[in-house]
Amino acid sequence: MDDLLADFVAETSEMLEASGGEIVAWEADPSDRARLDTIFRFVHTVKGNCGFFDFPRLEKLSHAAEDALAECRAGRREPDSTLVSAVLAIVDRISEMTDAIGAGEEFPAGGDDALIAALQSDETPGVVGEAPSIAPEQPAVGGVDKDAAPKAARNAVQRTIRLPTDLLDEVMKGVSDMVLARNDLARRLREAGEQPTIDGPFDRLSTILADVRTSITRMRMQRLEHLFTSFPRLVRDLSTELGKQVMVDLEGGEVELDREMVEMVRDPLTHIIRNAIDHGLEGPGERIKTGKREIGLLKFAARQSGNQITLAITDDGRGIDTDRLAAKAVAAGIYSQSEIDRMSERRKLYLIFEPGLSTAEKVSSVSGRGVGMDVVRSNIERVGGSIDVTSKPGEGTSFYLKLPLTLSIIAALTVGSGGQRYAIPRSYVEEIVFGSSDHVDFAEAGERRLVTFRGQRVPCLSLGEILGIEANEHVDWESRTLVLIRLATDDVFALAVDRVYDHEDVVVKPIAPAIMETRLYAGTTLLDDGKPMMLIDLPSIAQLRGLVTEMRSSSRVDEEEKVEDRKTTPIMLFTGLDGRQRAARLELVRRIDTISRDAIDIEGSRAQAVIDGAIFSLVGHEYGDLPEEKCRLLRLSDGECEIAYAVREVLDAANMEGEIVPSTVDPAIEGVTLIGNQPVPVIDGHTLFASHRAPRRVDHPMSCRLPADSDWARTILGPLVEAAGYRVSTEDSEEADVEIRLAESTAEISCPARRVIHLRPEPEVAVEDTSDSIYRYDREALLAALKQFRMGKTA
Amino acid sequence: MNELLLMCLIAGRRAAIPAIQVQSVIEIGEITPIPGVPAFIRGLTALRSQALTVIDCSIALGFEGQAEIADQRAAVVDVDGHLYALMVDAAYDVGEARSEPMDVPGGFGPGWQAAARGMVETDGGPTLLIDVQTIVAGSIAEAA
Repeated sequence: MDDLLADFVAETSEMLEASGGEIVAWEADPSDRARLDTIFRFVHTVKGNCGFFDFPRLEKLSHAAEDALAECRAGRREPDSTLVSAVLAIVDRISEMTDAIGAGEEFPAGGDDALIAALQSDETPGVVGEAPSIAPEQPAVGGVDKDAAPKAARNAVQRTIRLPTDLLDEVMKGVSDMVLARNDLARRLREAGEQPTIDGPFDRLSTILADVRTSITRMRMQRLEHLFTSFPRLVRDLSTELGKQVMVDLEGGEVELDREMVEMVRDPLTHIIRNAIDHGLEGPGERIKTGKREIGLLKFAARQSGNQITLAITDDGRGIDTDRLAAKAVAAGIYSQSEIDRMSERRKLYLIFEPGLSTAEKVSSVSGRGVGMDVVRSNIERVGGSIDVTSKPGEGTSFYLKLPLTLSIIAALTVGSGGQRYAIPRSYVEEIVFGSSDHVDFAEAGERRLVTFRGQRVPCLSLGEILGIEANEHVDWESRTLVLIRLATDDVFALAVDRVYDHEDVVVKPIAPAIMETRLYAGTTLLDDGKPMMLIDLPSIAQLRGLVTEMRSSSRVDEEEKVEDRKTTPIMLFTGLDGRQRAARLELVRRIDTISRDAIDIEGSRAQAVIDGAIFSLVGHEYGDLPEEKCRLLRLSDGECEIAYAVREVLDAANMEGEIVPSTVDPAIEGVTLIGNQPVPVIDGHTLFASHRAPRRVDHPMSCRLPADSDWARTILGPLVEAAGYRVSTEDSEEADVEIRLAESTAEISCPARRVIHLRPEPEVAVEDTSDSIYRYDREALLAALKQFRMGKTA
Repeated sequence: MNELLLMCLIAGRRAAIPAIQVQSVIEIGEITPIPGVPAFIRGLTALRSQALTVIDCSIALGFEGQAEIADQRAAVVDVDGHLYALMVDAAYDVGEARSEPMDVPGGFGPGWQAAARGMVETDGGPTLLIDVQTIVAGSIAEAA
């Protein structure tokens, strides 16, 4: 919303600037129609925007000015100098108010009605008489605002400017050129050997250039909000048309995406929304019958993770009917019934992406016009993204879109084949294995090479063979590196390359149509040394080679088992202070923090860390020495309290696919799991929180009154009582839940507490003491009594 | 009339490319071959931060290409937003056309006929005016 508000302020000041000249010209010649129109448009626009933002004062002002000007435009009123000055006064006031809004200040109230009254036509003499009195009043208001207004105006001008995208592209291209020139220079400098006088400034140049490049990239970013704003309207229109009630929930609008990407996903998203409202969500009657809320929910949630944006579109409708989907697929001749029978539920769900399938019973005006989810998927894939779907009958459907941050920059794996480098989009790369590895078995089925890896038989292609630079029979498979590719369709194949070079973020440029025709390449990019490198189009190659369908018919069973087996648990890998790798379940990790060593306090068995002004129990420090300056911490949470876990380095997030072998020896370890064939101990959250959780803070602590006249009670007893979860009060008049009375104290208390603990000064019970007193240094008994009262209340 | 032309030599014949389409004339340095593409596309070469698709005009016209391509001249043209380097045997000056492009009875030979907009008179004699769009589309080589 802040963003929209800034847009509004910027737009208004822009229009003000633009119409400034017009206003002056209009003043000189009030009968000028063109000027009148311009100013009319301005107040009209302001009025519209104000209504949207709920600025009643601005709206009232602009509405009044608009009315007066409309009269003139309709010829019912002659614009005269009185009217001109009245309108100008209003325009000035709008400008001041907008500045105040932009600066986040409150605009002094009052004065509006006089300005509006000044607009009244001079046929009512009384008002005309008042009009001159407005003029002197005006500077007074301006005077109040004089200090703030110019500052605000400057702020507003600086905050946003509009630029043509072309210009941005040009700047971006220039920066890319600079990076290439820098790389060239870097190479020459390396060749020339070390030159301290040049190397220093050159490094600085490199850093600056990297920063500039990042900023430029950010310039092209747009908040998803801009896309989201159009959805409520779309949903409203569709739901009205279809007689359904839909509520929209938008989340993550602050996530930024490349402008072009936003435009590219607009259509696919619109299509998904249509489908959801038309097929997914039931009508109000049906919903009530199934025990759901009458109003359907359509939820959009965007998240950024690294270089990717995940966008989830969820409805709480009836879910996808996989049986009907399957029946349609059979009817359309895409699959045979026996093929369908062998499919898992998940695979059947994927039928929704098959061309020529629509689950709509009847073709409505909204969806089911033959443009199906297959088009959505291909559009998403074209921009380097992927789409996934999950659905539960009766509960709803979720579509997950994964999109690269920008159209032009993708994360790629550079591989070599035939002495040349190629780039593969990293999103497809599942795993990299050496052909010589023991886990890899090659087999042949007819002409087709197969590779068995982790019990899975997948077709294996040589990149050189695909590109036509080597023949299959000459390939020495064992010497190759295999890149396991998982397409968005979940089809897997292995791509044999000569070697794998590196991970790189590459800027992808389009390629000439004649090269596109080969359907082997998706684009081109320039290497650091300025040489071009081709980006391999994997989905297209898989299609060319028939891998997509082939796998569905031949090794489906293998794959299906895998799909079902993959009940993965996300974990976070890190290195402990002892340098050993460990893992924590990702759900436990709330965030990663870096704090300075000073913020950690260790004394005996107690260790605590201060993060953002709060104290956390620290664990993990027992494994080794803390770093000298900065310390990385994992903040683990059990949902209620947090623990800081000191680590040397946070490595990566991974999926725990195998089982955890429980460990009974070390209670701090839940068990050991295999990550990439390495045993990794997983820390036991239960043990950690059981031993280190801080006492839960009670929202409404019970109060305990201590004798006000005793220093001992205040300094020694007070902290103990607080630690037991009580709020200490010494006010006599305040009503307390528990009161502690000292035997020697004689002060009468006006307002007795519900429960009283008597403390006696001596360990032995005095003869005359009939009350059930506790020795003042009997810590256990005192705490037990306090605890008992607290439990008694909460129970 | 009086269209400016870049005079060049393609497959040993005088040819001309409309100068208005030519951004620059470069010397081709290193070419990154692209496996799997038609032969008339020699690969990619980089011009500053842009990748140019290198088109061998001789092959595109259905002739034998030259094996040696280093240091060869090429005209950089922009077709539909894509940059191409049109490899020529030699690039000469820019000259004026002295006539409208015209057909010659009997044609210019299969490849030339498809790729040329016609023959123009220039100061250097009759010259074939190359149609850049047709050359980069690469349909002639297959047809010929």
